[in-house]
Amino acid sequence: MDLLQFARGPALTWAATVFMFGITWRLVGILLLKRSPDFSEARNATSWLGAVKLIITRSWPRREFRQRTLFAQSLGYIFHVGLVIILFGFAPHILFFKALTGLGWPNLPSAFIQLTSGITLAALIVVLVRRLSHPVLRLLSNFDDYFSWLVTFTPVATGMLAVAHFGARYETLLAIHLLSVALLLVWFPFGKLMHSALIFISRGTTGALFERKGASI
Amino acid sequence: MSTAEIDSTHPLELDQPRFSVKNPEARYDKQGDLSDAQRVETAMRYFVKDFGAVAATYLESCIHCGMCADACHFYVATEDPKYTPIWKLEPFKQAYKREAGPFAAIYRALNLKKKVTVEQLEAWQALIYDSCTLCGRCTLICPMGIDIASLVGLARHGMNQAGLVPHELWAVAERAQREGSPLGATPKVFKDRCEWLADENQVAIPVDKAQADVVVTMSSIEIMKYPDSIVATAKILNHLGLNWTFRSDGYEATNFGMLSGNSAWQQEASMKLIHATIAAGAKLLILPECGHAYGAMRWQGANIYGKPLPFRVLHISEFLAENTKNGAIKTKPLGKTLTFHDPCQISRRGGAIEAPRDVLNGLGAALIEMKDTKGVNWCCGGGGGVVTIHRADPIRYKAFQIKMKQVDDAGAELLVSSCSNCRQTFDDGQNHFHWDKTMLSLLELVADNLEDK
Amino acid sequence: MNESDTLGASLVRSGVSRRSFLKFCTAMASLMALPPGAAYAMADALSRAQRQSVIWLSFQECTGCVESLTRSFDPTLEQMIFEMISLDYQETLQAASGEAAELARVEAMKSSYGKYLLIVDGSIPTKDGGVYSTVAGVSNYDRLIEMAKGAAAIVAVGTCSSYGGIPHANPNPTGAVSVSDIIKDKPVMNVPGCPPIPSVIAGTLAYFVTYGKLPELDHIGRPKVFYADTIHDRCYRRPFYDQGKFAKTFDDEGARNGWCLYELGCKGPTTYNACATIKWNGGVSYPIESGHGCLGCSEPNFWDNGSFYRPLSTPLASNTHIIAAGTLGGIAAGVVAAGLSRKHQTHIGEEK
Repeated sequence: MDLLQFARGPALTWAATVFMFGITWRLVGILLLKRSPDFSEARNATSWLGAVKLIITRSWPRREFRQRTLFAQSLGYIFHVGLVIILFGFAPHILFFKALTGLGWPNLPSAFIQLTSGITLAALIVVLVRRLSHPVLRLLSNFDDYFSWLVTFTPVATGMLAVAHFGARYETLLAIHLLSVALLLVWFPFGKLMHSALIFISRGTTGALFERKGASI
Repeated sequence: MSTAEIDSTHPLELDQPRFSVKNPEARYDKQGDLSDAQRVETAMRYFVKDFGAVAATYLESCIHCGMCADACHFYVATEDPKYTPIWKLEPFKQAYKREAGPFAAIYRALNLKKKVTVEQLEAWQALIYDSCTLCGRCTLICPMGIDIASLVGLARHGMNQAGLVPHELWAVAERAQREGSPLGATPKVFKDRCEWLADENQVAIPVDKAQADVVVTMSSIEIMKYPDSIVATAKILNHLGLNWTFRSDGYEATNFGMLSGNSAWQQEASMKLIHATIAAGAKLLILPECGHAYGAMRWQGANIYGKPLPFRVLHISEFLAENTKNGAIKTKPLGKTLTFHDPCQISRRGGAIEAPRDVLNGLGAALIEMKDTKGVNWCCGGGGGVVTIHRADPIRYKAFQIKMKQVDDAGAELLVSSCSNCRQTFDDGQNHFHWDKTMLSLLELVADNLEDK
Repeated sequence: MNESDTLGASLVRSGVSRRSFLKFCTAMASLMALPPGAAYAMADALSRAQRQSVIWLSFQECTGCVESLTRSFDPTLEQMIFEMISLDYQETLQAASGEAAELARVEAMKSSYGKYLLIVDGSIPTKDGGVYSTVAGVSNYDRLIEMAKGAAAIVAVGTCSSYGGIPHANPNPTGAVSVSDIIKDKPVMNVPGCPPIPSVIAGTLAYFVTYGKLPELDHIGRPKVFYADTIHDRCYRRPFYDQGKFAKTFDDEGARNGWCLYELGCKGPTTYNACATIKWNGGVSYPIESGHGCLGCSEPNFWDNGSFYRPLSTPLASNTHIIAAGTLGGIAAGVVAAGLSRKHQTHIGEEK
């Protein structure tokens, strides 16, 4: 079995298994913790509306916070949108999803994906520099922050190299790319990358609780 | 620590501009005689005791983006990263991950998340208490929607059990538990005050009526420092012709048990009000101009009671708004511009955002909103028990400067709020900075301008 | 066989003109990207060289490789090769059979001991004492060991002898292995492909005869001159890949427009061979040009890399049952974790 076979075969299978195992473990482990009923008289009965509202509106800063968070928010948007474009717009990725789910969709030109990847990598580097230099971020950051950054950065970087056939033989680059994705999948449930699922639960929870009180969301 | 010791070593300073106790020169405070190891053990256990799915969701969700710092008056005023709201929860987070999270067993087995240390707890006492007013402004900026303020409230449970509360806050809470009021407003003192105020102001102030439709409560800050509020309350309720009463078995609306993190004391204080209201057969409980009292009873009261309360709970501003809108309260036009300071626990976190504005509207006052207002209003810096803690004064004054600038920028003639704790903080800040703005009470403003029937 | 006979003389006898000989040498030199003067050097060396003795052993194979060579489109090429070498033993092509044939082999081995080139096509079965393929009662394995001893070098022609090929494919019932799996003490060159391009076989032979050694090999024993680039790198459809234009089926608009076949499972990006440059049938075309993706036939394990129509970027197999089991396990772990936490919390309450 060569490296590419290992990457496409057992590595991906087991990474996906760990991914699913970890995600369900973590989510179920959180959601099944005790919940106490709220007997207070609700100001607004349709609290789920608040959940929807907050999930949507928290995607951009309130006017009052805009000035202080504009840079961080923009940076976040750039690399998140970049990642989404790369992940769901690149033909080989779509094939990957199609093989898993049977669903396919039109792809974007490869050159556009390369450009996006470049921008995303640049944004991710700025993110890291900022994390290392901003006093607040440096204080807050732990292993999870840096490792999650690494496992996000690596697939984009190796993917770019693979597409450009640069640095090593294509099958090696592709294998390394797939292995870096496997690493991402394995780490995903156990670190902060889980925020991609938790963001809805967390925002929704606050939205519903606060809407019930009529509090600001 | 015995009762006598508390009173002698940390006597209440009733003559000072604000009520508090003299602070011993300790970097961090301890209560009880637990060993350091026991304190750590207790804190670890009680950090996680009240954990539910909601708090777990929040702690699992943090992405360390640091944006909460930008919403916090203590960080913005000092630019010191340790005042980043989520950082104030670090030991709590650590305890959660180790003891209650989905991967707790692994973290424990491999010791990936260590137990908190006593040094950590020492350092964090100042972060969990001194530099958090539970104002919840950070909750509004968090891209993950984490309600950080509620978590600080939970973290205080562990600190309290471990006997690691700042002395003044603990002493105030202990006294409230022992005497029924944190600032010496015992039932007897309260009754005497009401009697005296009734004579002085020629106004009927019913106390301990066996049956009443409305039970009214007060904040000890009002009772001891702003007694005019009692008179104003009585004037308005009498003006409306309501069958109302104060109850000496349930008049103190502040809840320092909650602020210090003592669930048992919190429960006891709330149950007093609930039982008194039920005993009077009242259909309405009115909460005074006090921020945390609103959160404690309006949103937590029923849950402490264990079932829906058999009466309505309204903040005085909500009560005034209802009666202003239905025309029952008529006031003389004020003819002045004013700006309104939203008390965090009533507006942002309590949901009574429009009520004071409806009242001001009825007063015919030209309301000039501050730049950041309503839900995103800047906190006065004194909530959550912070105003009682002496060693927090330097950062509190720094944070207060944000508030002063905000008020000055609005450029209104009058400054009004509906929280006596905010008012106390403003008075203290005014005194400290020799500021020209005096905080007024919404309630008193209405009472003073009532149109005679 | 006349041992003193040089290749040049032999060519003259066969009526091959100097012009076509030079043309052959130039073609070979350019194929292998040798410097311009090399064609003349090659012509010179070849015409003066004694014809190289070659012993060709066929093991577990389909004769496709020999077919590829002998039925090459260009008759001159085939002729050149067989003029260039003295093919002393080749079961398919030799006239002799039975004991006479075996005698020729032994004869050739003796007379050119240490100098002959051993060509092998087909894999070598090793299971059950190698009984799955024998010639004249001797297993392929034993025959290879025997014949390798006196060889100057060994050329494994085709993917089977290079990497095990189709007989080696899972579950490999005969225990088939490649030449280089067995022979460790002789230079072995792999010329993989199923079959290899005829010019590639000829080119490498010409190189050996000219320079007396094997050309530079890559990490899996292939001559770099022919196997340095991927099909994908040299593919005329590459611009469509770069633009993200892909045929989705074999008869859609994209397929008709000659768009990239990546989505249809083309293995061009991971296949190192000269198909896209030298092409087949005298340079007429190659599989991708006729509308089908590359199978990757010159790569090790090409038969076990999932379906030929499975795109490279997809997992080799969808092991949904394993992943589903993981998901269920995760739910169970979550339930247990939450249960333990709740128990732990209740316990804290009771202690007081």
